[in-house]
Amino acid sequence: MTPHDTNGNTTPERLSELHLQLQDWLPGYVDGELEPRQADILEAHLAGCDTCRAELARQRSLSMRLQQVAALRMSAQLHRRLDTMIEDTPPPLAQPARKPRWPVTLSRFMPQARHFSVGGIIGTTGWALALCLIVFMLLPGTGTPKPIPMMGDVMQEYQSLPSERLTPQNVRPESDLPARLAGCKLVASWKTRVGGEPAEAFALQRGEHLIIEYRITENVFYRNPDVRQAIADFGDYRIRENALEVLALPLKGAGLLVVGPADAVPHRREFIL
Amino acid sequence: MDHARQKQQFQSLTRPWRDRLFSVARRQTRSLEIAEDWTQETLLRAWRDFDQLTETVAVYAWLLRILNRVVADDHRRNARRQRLAPMLMISDDNLLQDHPCAAPGPFEQIMQNQSDEQVIAAIQALPDTFRQVVMLRDIEGLSYQELGLVLNLPSGTVMSRLSRGRRLLAGLLIKAGATRARDKSAIRPLKIRESANDTA
Repeated sequence: MTPHDTNGNTTPERLSELHLQLQDWLPGYVDGELEPRQADILEAHLAGCDTCRAELARQRSLSMRLQQVAALRMSAQLHRRLDTMIEDTPPPLAQPARKPRWPVTLSRFMPQARHFSVGGIIGTTGWALALCLIVFMLLPGTGTPKPIPMMGDVMQEYQSLPSERLTPQNVRPESDLPARLAGCKLVASWKTRVGGEPAEAFALQRGEHLIIEYRITENVFYRNPDVRQAIADFGDYRIRENALEVLALPLKGAGLLVVGPADAVPHRREFIL
Repeated sequence: MDHARQKQQFQSLTRPWRDRLFSVARRQTRSLEIAEDWTQETLLRAWRDFDQLTETVAVYAWLLRILNRVVADDHRRNARRQRLAPMLMISDDNLLQDHPCAAPGPFEQIMQNQSDEQVIAAIQALPDTFRQVVMLRDIEGLSYQELGLVLNLPSGTVMSRLSRGRRLLAGLLIKAGATRARDKSAIRPLKIRESANDTA
């Protein structure tokens, strides 16, 4: 006799439902977006399901191929048209207070703040206190800066770099360097991942220092708002942590991270991009 | 903030994303003109709503969300075109199980043999709901969280649409690859005959 569940489904029916449900998890598995527990369940299913294993392989191939699709560039004419349009359009008027359609800074810093709007619970004094708290939290230096994953990735790789990786095997030609630097010698290159996406690393010897250039995807490079703002305002972004320094520079269609010992990372003008 | 400074900030925040925004627009229509109009309309709306961008987490996601609305509005306005658009009706699950090219090795070969134009053409043939999610994830590299924000979808729906979208796309590419291979083999004997005549 075939066992039934509480809904009266037989075991093969339940397995078929589970199979269909788990098929929807395959993209999450390919993209590393599943919770660890979900990944465990899916892996157990994959061990016994040829169909899902084949589907997983197809999704990987498909996803990899789509990642290689080249970005399109708009014409210079359209760029000019857009510039003119922005120039000719009056700036946005200050809007009256309303519920924003996009998450606001307040809710980013204080997710619980939205509950303050529950009508009239907190009176004038409460609002004044809330305002003081917001001002305090927005003051520079009062909050802990959020770590930037791409910076963390390159610094971690720099610190834990195995010496065998620096053996001069399969070194790419210097012309492949994302940015050339006078007085440097390319000693190694390899493929890696930064910010969860593919990246290329180039180790350079500069005097007694080792400097690594990472060519990373544009998507990862511009992901952090502080980096975006600094690039827009100053043309570069630089951080210093644990005796290391990372310089971020924009490249055409990509981003460059240069990591090295603090004070040994050159000024951006020294790079030939 | 004075107007000039506001304008400068808008330009510096959005300029790096213009080409990618245009890419996304271009991949949703075969018409260059329409893609350009969508890009222009998106940036115009972004500029008008610039004061609403108080959250700076993802300018690109914000722009994509606006583009998404622009495209949806345009489709609504052109309801006739929508009615005339070919509906994609495929149940590719059987194809993916039965077709010899669906096995991992041959499928990867098919993927590598497709030009970017052929891949984009297949993506353009997908229904809107699947095309957007596949394109924004696999070509634009958005995370599931960003996808949910741009398309206003819960993450579970993002994943199930991506699953279905990738299966549909795989089916389309297999069919296209098989058709091209057949056409190629049909042309070859003709060429041999032609060269034989030449030598004779």
